[in-house]
Amino acid sequence: MRGKHSLFYHILIFIIAQLVWLSLLGLWIYWYVSNYIVFEKVGEEVSPQLVYDVQNALPFILGLILLIGLSFTTSLIFRHLNVQLRITELYDNFISNVTHELKSPLSSIQLYLETLKQREVPQEKRKEFIDMMMKDADRLQSLINSILEISAQEKKKLLQDYGVYKADIIVKDLIDESCEKFRVAKENYQVTSDASCEIVAGKDALKVVFDNLVDNAVKYSTLKAEIVVSLICNSKKVTIVFSDLGIGVAVKEQKKIFNKFYRIYNKEIPNVKGTGLGLYRVKEIIKSHDGKITVLSEGEGKGTTFKIELPAYTAMSNRQLKKFLKTEKLNQV
Amino acid sequence: MAEDFKRSRILLVEDEETLAVGLEYNLTEEGYIVQWAKNGREAVDFFKKGNFDLIILDIMLPYVNGFEVAEKVRKDDPQIPILMLTAKTESGDKVKGLEKGADDYLTKPFHLQELLLRVKGMLKRKSWYKIASEKQPVYKFGNNEINFEMLNCRHGEEEIRLTPQEAMLLKYLVERKGEIVSRKELLENVWHLNPDIETRTVDIFIARLRKYFEPDSSNPVYFKSIRGAGYMFEEN
Repeated sequence: MRGKHSLFYHILIFIIAQLVWLSLLGLWIYWYVSNYIVFEKVGEEVSPQLVYDVQNALPFILGLILLIGLSFTTSLIFRHLNVQLRITELYDNFISNVTHELKSPLSSIQLYLETLKQREVPQEKRKEFIDMMMKDADRLQSLINSILEISAQEKKKLLQDYGVYKADIIVKDLIDESCEKFRVAKENYQVTSDASCEIVAGKDALKVVFDNLVDNAVKYSTLKAEIVVSLICNSKKVTIVFSDLGIGVAVKEQKKIFNKFYRIYNKEIPNVKGTGLGLYRVKEIIKSHDGKITVLSEGEGKGTTFKIELPAYTAMSNRQLKKFLKTEKLNQV
Repeated sequence: MAEDFKRSRILLVEDEETLAVGLEYNLTEEGYIVQWAKNGREAVDFFKKGNFDLIILDIMLPYVNGFEVAEKVRKDDPQIPILMLTAKTESGDKVKGLEKGADDYLTKPFHLQELLLRVKGMLKRKSWYKIASEKQPVYKFGNNEINFEMLNCRHGEEEIRLTPQEAMLLKYLVERKGEIVSRKELLENVWHLNPDIETRTVDIFIARLRKYFEPDSSNPVYFKSIRGAGYMFEEN
């Protein structure tokens, strides 16, 4: 809300500045035209032999060009300012979301530690509390990792443990792990594959991809999340189609959801927690695998389908193999 | 007396499972009966069905957020004490929470002892207030009539319902009619809070009382600010 107000305020300032600017320009033209005759007369008196020609209009034309140039630059600055404002707003939201995401597990850990210190907790409860604390510690770790890894990924400094995997096996394993982590029951998801083919992938990185997709499917479903993953292989690429029956993504949002810090708001499920980094990170990881990710959704309430395309191992160019294998060797050392 | 509120029913509204399980355990150990609502929608449903003595309410909740829950609860029951639990630190959120009807708030991460003391304090004040208001249930000043027992007030023709915290503050000021009461004293005796921090809380509640009872809230005649000292209730 505040962002909208400040944007409106800046547009207003811009319009007023342009009006002032144009009125000054008008005044200047008026002044120039009405004084031109006086200049001419004064000129004639001071130096009657001076010849008037086109050159006299030069300062006027130059002035105009300068003014147009200045207005153009002002608009550019204004546009830039608007972009900056939008980024600042997203960044502020991100900071507030991250603070929230850090504080929740931290308060839970603190609560359990204080409970264990102050009370005589029975053995089985004690075990339950320790499990809860470990869950929170994992949550903290994955949040911190996601922030650190994004920064490393952006600087292209992230080393991944690339290896050659059978696509159907690695995808099935990772989906199983993610679904277990986010509590999607076995009957609510299925993974199908038409053939076996090989991909070069970083296992940990792919795990982040599926964790994010499953987490989103769970968070953005009004009822229980239902996930269908299918794998299509051809000689050139492996396509992983990940569909859920969640609330879907409006067409105008589909381009934006992979942007850093971007989060969608849906009145069906308000107050979904998150940092706005998940899909951005997914996109970056897929990009680093020389792949492509796209989103398809017929609109709100109609589920979402993510299509991930990765190059098949057999179709990889020498350059690609060198890039991935080099890292692989590095990891093996 | 201390055992009076031992079996109090507490509605715990918290969507973070790990935190809720720990809180539920501790509150149950203290002797309270706890019901856990996982989101705002559930909280409103449970509240309508159950007869609770206190609500512990998180702000960031799925579906219906804590502010909206507080508002809905306040429409039905102005008396139930609400303790807001929030990970947000901006003072704007605290102010908003208090304005929406919360009586107290605690920011995450919090100390277990502090939470338990606040819960106990709120329940204790609730029962103290019940006894105190039975002695002198109705009080009149100007064209205002306050029923401390029912928390029903009348300002001219207008009917107002007070929250327990508002009523307690009002009762405290009325009992010290003509005396200057500092914010520190109010925080210590009405809120039982550490006065070094939240003096803004008092100002928000005074503003609420002025809005209800003053003929013109920007020129108060009953709830006067005494510069540098605090507040004074006066009846002309």
